[in-house]
Order: sequence, then C-alpha cells, then structure tokens
Amino acid sequence: MNGTGNGTGNGTGNGARTNHRFLWISLAVLGASLSVFGTAMAAQASGGDAAQETVALSKSIGVWCAALLTIGILTFLYKDNPFYKVCESILIGVSAAYWMVNGFWTTLVPNLFGKLAPGLVREVAIPSLPVSETPGLDMALAFVPLLLGLMLLWRLAPKGGWISVWPLAFIIGTTAGIRLVASIEADLLAQASATIRPLVVMKPATPAGADGAAAVGAAAVAATVGALDFWGTVGAITGVVGVLSVLTYFFFSLEHKGAVGKSARLGVWFLMITFGSAFGLTVMGRITLLAQRLEFLFKDWLGLG
Amino acid sequence: MDTNTHDRQGGGGGGSFLARLGGIDRRWIFLAIESIPEGSRVLLAFDYDPASAGELQPMANAMVHHCAARGHKIVFMALWPLGKQMADATIDDVLLEFHPNYAYGTDYVQLGYKAGNEAVVKLMATNLPQQYSTDAAGAALSSLPLVAGVQDLAAFQLIASISAGYPGAKEWVQYANSAAPEAFTLVSGSTGVQVSQLLPYYPAQMEGLLVAVKGAAEYEMLVTAKYPSADKPELLAERLGQGRVRMGPQLVAHLLMIGLIILGNVAMIAGRSRGGAR
Repeated sequence: MNGTGNGTGNGTGNGARTNHRFLWISLAVLGASLSVFGTAMAAQASGGDAAQETVALSKSIGVWCAALLTIGILTFLYKDNPFYKVCESILIGVSAAYWMVNGFWTTLVPNLFGKLAPGLVREVAIPSLPVSETPGLDMALAFVPLLLGLMLLWRLAPKGGWISVWPLAFIIGTTAGIRLVASIEADLLAQASATIRPLVVMKPATPAGADGAAAVGAAAVAATVGALDFWGTVGAITGVVGVLSVLTYFFFSLEHKGAVGKSARLGVWFLMITFGSAFGLTVMGRITLLAQRLEFLFKDWLGLG
Repeated sequence: MDTNTHDRQGGGGGGSFLARLGGIDRRWIFLAIESIPEGSRVLLAFDYDPASAGELQPMANAMVHHCAARGHKIVFMALWPLGKQMADATIDDVLLEFHPNYAYGTDYVQLGYKAGNEAVVKLMATNLPQQYSTDAAGAALSSLPLVAGVQDLAAFQLIASISAGYPGAKEWVQYANSAAPEAFTLVSGSTGVQVSQLLPYYPAQMEGLLVAVKGAAEYEMLVTAKYPSADKPELLAERLGQGRVRMGPQLVAHLLMIGLIILGNVAMIAGRSRGGAR
C-alpha cells in the first residue's frame, strides 16, 4: 500500500517536474522569439531604406504566430508537452468558435432571421439580402425550421429529451431521401453502366486514306475494322475480372471453396492493390502537407530561399 | 507534341505500355479546358481550405491561369466556408497579376460561399438564381453581364471542383452531372486522400481528374509550357511552380520509405534465418 502510494507519488512528482521543465522551455522559446521579432521589426523600421518595403505589422505578427504554432505542433514528434497542448487547444478552440460564428452568419442570419425579420436583418447585418416576392409566406415557412431547431435544443433540458428525437428523425429522413436518389444514379447505375464495356478493344478506325481521299476496297474494310488495341483490351479484361472477383469475395451465400474460393482469393488481391494505392496516395498527400509547412517556416518566417 | 490531339483516355490508343503509362493523368484537365471553345463560361468551385492548400493551391493557380489564357469567362464559388478566401487569393495572385485586363462582372465573377453542402449543388442544377441571387459582394446577378442570364448549371461549358473532401467533387458528380450529364464537362482536382473515391468516376462521369501534387506538378508544366507570361515570366514560374517544387520532398521521402521498407524486410529475413539456424 505504502509502496504503491510512494511510487505513484514519485511518478506524479516526476511528471509534474517534466511538465514544469517543458513549460519553462516553452516560455523561453516564446520569449526568445518575441525578442528576435521585436529586434527584427525595430531594425527594419529604423535602418531600412524608407523607399523600400514598409513593415506590415499585422502580417508579421500573423506569420510569427503561425510559425510558433507550427513548431509547437511539431514538438509532439519528440513527446507530449505543454507547448503542444497549448497549440492543440488553440487549434480546437479557434476551429469550434469559427464554425459556430460561420454557422450563425451564413445559415441562421440569412435563412432564418432574414425570413422572420428581413427589414431588420437588411438594416443591421446583410444590406444585400434579397427582397422576397412573398415575404408573408416566407415568414410563415421559417417558423418550421425555427420550431425544429428549438425542439433539437430541447435535448439540453432536464426533462422531455424525447422531443429532440422528432427533428433528428426529420434530418435523417430528408438526408436519406436526398442522397438515395443521387447515390443510385451516380454510384450504382452509372458505375454499372461504365463497367459493361467490350472486352476486346479496337483502335479508332480511319474512314479516309492518308491523303484524305475516301478509302475503297480492302483498305475500306481494314479502316472500318481497325486494329486491336492490346493494352486497351488488357485493361477492359482486368476491369471485368476485378469487379467479378471482388464481388465474389463479398458473396457469402456460397462457401469459398474450389472455383469460388479461387475467385474470392483473386478478389482479395485486387482489394489489397486498391488499398495499397489509396494508402500510397494518402502518404503522398501527407508528405506534401509537411513540405508546405517547412516551406512556410523557411521561406515566409525565416526568409531563407 | 500536340496535346490537343491526345486521347483523353490516357495516352492514346497506340504506343508502348510505358508511353501509355506516361500519358495517364497529366492531360485530362488540360485537354478538357483546351477542348471547349475560347471564351466559354467556366465555373470553378473552390471546395477546400488552407489545410489542403499544399496540394490544391498549385492546381487552382494553374487552372485559373489556363482558363484566363484561353479567354474563358470564370465564375468562382465555394462549397467550403474558407473556399471563398482561397478563391480571392487566387484571383489576386494569378488572375489579376497575369491577366490584368480581366474585368469584374464581364470576365469573372465571385459568387462566394453558400452553406448547404450538396443542397447548394442540387439547387444550382435547376435554379441557380434562387441559390445565388447576389454575388459575394452583394451585387445582384442581373447587374453582372457574365451571369445575368444564367438559369442553371447548363449555362456553363465546364465545371471544375478543386476538392479536398465533403462537400466536393463527389457531390458535383452526384448532383450536377447526374442532373444534366451532357450539358457540361465536369473535371476535378483532388487531394491524394480523396482521389481513390473519385477515380471510378473517370472518364464516364468526370472527364478529367488531377491526382494530388503529382497531378498538379504535371498540369503546371503543361500550362506554363503552352501559356508562358511575356511580362512576368519569373513571377509566373514562381506562382505556377509550387507543385513542381513540392515534388522534390516527395522524391526524397519516397526513396527514404522504400529504403526503410527494404531494410525492414532484410532485417526480418535475417532474423528468421538466424532463428531457423538455432
């Protein structure tokens, strides 16, 4: 009991000391950065040629904040630390606040308040709010989303939580309805149609001779048929085989033995190659994001390059 | 090589496998924008934010310069809240920098951001003025010659979504292309993370697709080779060279990863053989 207590106490003490050390290091880095920033600004303002660039204070502060936050996030590569925690909290807080403000001004104000009190909204918020031809009807209809919104917020009340289920059902129902048709059209019918292609692909035929004259006799026949497009044919066959074998893998009404098993096995290969390709593209995207941040640090912040 | 005559399906019907492989990816959007008549009305949707700018901004820069060099009339819009700011930056840095003769209202219009995700696209497909009654600055569409008579998406010859996720290129295929498949050409530039979901749409439902920073770099090369800037060649090389600059780190990182994979496998095989010897 004592041993456990001591161990925990020591561990907590060490953790606290480590956190304090990181806090002091973070503050030192921040202080040093601010002093360098101040020195650079002063030097640029006093020593620089007046005819040259002027100091864009707001942009400079923005670049420095972005650089310190970038470095703060990257410190996680070493280990979790207070500097990282601060940067992470700033990111989450700013994002949440931005989305709330954005939702208020781009959705609630024009689509709800703009219908309920268009004159007031036009006067204090959106001068270019369109003038409706049927303001009375718009106002009456706007009470529907207002009511549904209030019902949704009822979840926060201590009693009557079931009231919020109704607007949720409305949201899910309308979303499913809107998406169902689009998904069937674009992702099922169109995709199935695109899969049904000739297995043997021919190169486009040339109806006329090289000199532009109409082809006759054997030349006309050859021009009509065209030559075999070998790689096009390979691609078409690979596509059909891939679709069928992957579908077989997800077909569980038959045991995966014999021909069905081999087809399913081939389907696994197609799936793995697809996932590998997707993962490779994801890695490429992440490397680009890192490269962009390093570009920012070296070029925009430090002015190197 | 005359890229105009190149087959959109990726490398043409003939040639070796390597030649076909080399032809894949880089010319899709280039050809789509080249193939529509000069002065066509084009809709560019900036469906991304600064988090994806590393991959998508090079595409946006090249696409805007390409459209303007062809004399296309450009309508900007965004399905992402910060997409409007990305479009504004592109207008300042590329469109007005290299094409100062482009006039607002007649040559380009900024519609801005609208909340509603796929519902925005769905409504635009049938009644654009109901979705966008004004531009981003609050001017009525009827006062802007470029969009005064536009009723729906069929008024555009080409729609391009520079897309980082939801809502983005997928929603343009589902709600715009499905509503009017023959009305316009739909192309997209996408992040590497998202592109696997979009590849099945090519070429039947989407005529062009730029794949991550590699696609951006290749597209930049094509655009700057055919449409260089007489006045500001160095600035153009900088603004339309970001994708190519970022391919350097790609090479190093990929070589490093390949090396580490080989090293890991060698270590595993060596460990196994040592274990087997025991």
